[in-house]
Amino acid sequence: MLHDVKEDYVRSIKKYTSSYHENHFRSLASKDFNGWPNPLEEKWRLSRLGALSRIKMLPIKPDLKKVSDSNKKLGSYILKFIDGAFREDLSSELPTGISLKELNEKESLEFFHKIKESDLNNHPSTNVSLSCTPSIIKLTVNKDTNVKELIEIFYEGGHQNFSVHPVLYVELKENSHLSLIENFNHFTSLVMPLQLTEIQEKGSLKSIKIFDDNDDTYNLSAHCALLSKEATFNSFSLVKGGIFTRSETHAYLNGTNAKLNLNGVYISGKKQHHDLTTAIYHDVPDCTSKQIVRGVLGGFSSGVFQGKVRVAPDAQKTDGQQMSKAILVSKNANANAKPELEIYADDVVCAHGATVGELDDDQLFYLNSRGIPENKARQMLIQAFLKDIINDSVDGQYHDYIFNEAQSSLSSILNEEK
Amino acid sequence: MSLLEIKNTHLKLDNKEILKGVSLSVNKGEVHAIMGPNGSGKSTLSYMLAGREGYELETGEILLEGNPLNEMSADERARSGLFLAFQYPVELPGVGGMSFLREAVNSRRKFLGEEEFDHLGFVKEARKEASKMFVKDEMLKRAVNVGFSGGEKKRFEILQMAMLKPKVSILDETDSGLDVDALKIVSEGVNAQRNKENAIVVITHYQRLLDYIVPDFVHILSDGAIIKSGGPELALEVEKNGYAGLINAA
Repeated sequence: MLHDVKEDYVRSIKKYTSSYHENHFRSLASKDFNGWPNPLEEKWRLSRLGALSRIKMLPIKPDLKKVSDSNKKLGSYILKFIDGAFREDLSSELPTGISLKELNEKESLEFFHKIKESDLNNHPSTNVSLSCTPSIIKLTVNKDTNVKELIEIFYEGGHQNFSVHPVLYVELKENSHLSLIENFNHFTSLVMPLQLTEIQEKGSLKSIKIFDDNDDTYNLSAHCALLSKEATFNSFSLVKGGIFTRSETHAYLNGTNAKLNLNGVYISGKKQHHDLTTAIYHDVPDCTSKQIVRGVLGGFSSGVFQGKVRVAPDAQKTDGQQMSKAILVSKNANANAKPELEIYADDVVCAHGATVGELDDDQLFYLNSRGIPENKARQMLIQAFLKDIINDSVDGQYHDYIFNEAQSSLSSILNEEK
Repeated sequence: MSLLEIKNTHLKLDNKEILKGVSLSVNKGEVHAIMGPNGSGKSTLSYMLAGREGYELETGEILLEGNPLNEMSADERARSGLFLAFQYPVELPGVGGMSFLREAVNSRRKFLGEEEFDHLGFVKEARKEASKMFVKDEMLKRAVNVGFSGGEKKRFEILQMAMLKPKVSILDETDSGLDVDALKIVSEGVNAQRNKENAIVVITHYQRLLDYIVPDFVHILSDGAIIKSGGPELALEVEKNGYAGLINAA
């Protein structure tokens, strides 16, 4: 029976792409999808997809009449994807210097090859989303353009027993600058967002992702970032929604003096499973990467941080820092951290640390001894635990917004533990 | 009725008896000093009174204004008017001094049925009290006790005491880590809180602190029990002859 369900989904993907020429990107991608990763595969050992493979699933046919009532307008410009399809009718016109287009067949094939050259080549979202996406959308920021306004992207829609496949390609040309915030708010489904970001020389991207899909949703996000010389990528993810959310990011520092900050927070309760998986590839000298990850877990939730840093033999003077901390507020929650450092160069500074623990008894007692009730005291300490990383990771004007987003999940987790 | 009544309290830690029948009555307006050598149970006594988890009584009773504290959690005891000034104030990275104080003071005010402070009202009040304790505004903006010097930490403890207006304050080795000047400032801060309605219990190794905070009564704690009580002259006797003489005599 289990076997049948899995086979059904694989067959439906193959069927979906069967009408395409064998060298078409959809056809090529579907060939590489033969089912969900095996739990014996090291990359997926801590985040098993067994339950997902038991759900009967088909790729969604986007409903182009569906509207959404999301009106969180932190950004000046809004882009909407519903059921994985870009919706021009619900999106803003973009300012000068940025353009948005649907990739044609030839460009899509080039996109396919770029992704397949990365270590995300066998990620299920790579193969399934490339097979089934309504279209690949490319956002380009022109050379020397500094986009001052925030662009806000909403990914919504979904339906029970259907999978959703938004694919986005963001290219920042030389010396261009962009700030993005992406919100994932799907209903009862499987979402497999795929993203490629290319930052050309001296370009910079600030990115915030908020994973807040509803309680039944699986989100398997795959993101590949390519950084050229002196490019900067500041990425912050807040993972709080879904029953199972894995945000996987692979960043390639391909040009000297490229800088990467790849930070994240997960807040997990009930039976949620949250996973931040990252891989950073230092392939040339003089690049910097910094990673701070914090997790708060309550209920019966589980959290995973997997962080690989690979420093190639030529990547001398690399500065790579990684620190992950998780706090368990429930005895039934668990957290796993797996730092992996592969260093082949000898003149580098690389540090990592990972801790999993409970709130500090002395700190709790100190707050209690001042009359502050247990629940409030725990809340204050956890807020403090997250405040630093939020302040360090996102621009000042968004601190309160992100903090409140985190706070709403924290409150429900702490109430569960009362 | 005594303000604080400690009745024949016994407490075990890791199956070892630490407090072996401590009794003490503290009336309104009084200052009591509890002196004792290392390992006599002084810090255990203060944690036991404050209600730290793991420091529950085997037998005995603690009453604050006649109300039993035994079953109350640490935060309930604090809101009821018990205050512990820590020997080693705990650092709270990321928790701002001002919001910490406001949360504490408002918890107590809520309990007393008084109106809670709003943000601005509180800042004004806190600054007024802070200046009396030589606590700079800048210190209130920082995370609680993080990067504070020994003296700053103790001044911040006494500032909390001043703002919480407790009925009974327990000062656990408040003199430790203080130089003479800092000791003077902290003691003056404590003395300013003394009034006919509250009481202070000073726990200390040394007589030195009692030159500044002059007690009405002095008790000697040894091996988990009070072996001798007297007036301020008892502290001088300790200073002169050490604890050994007193303990042997008892």
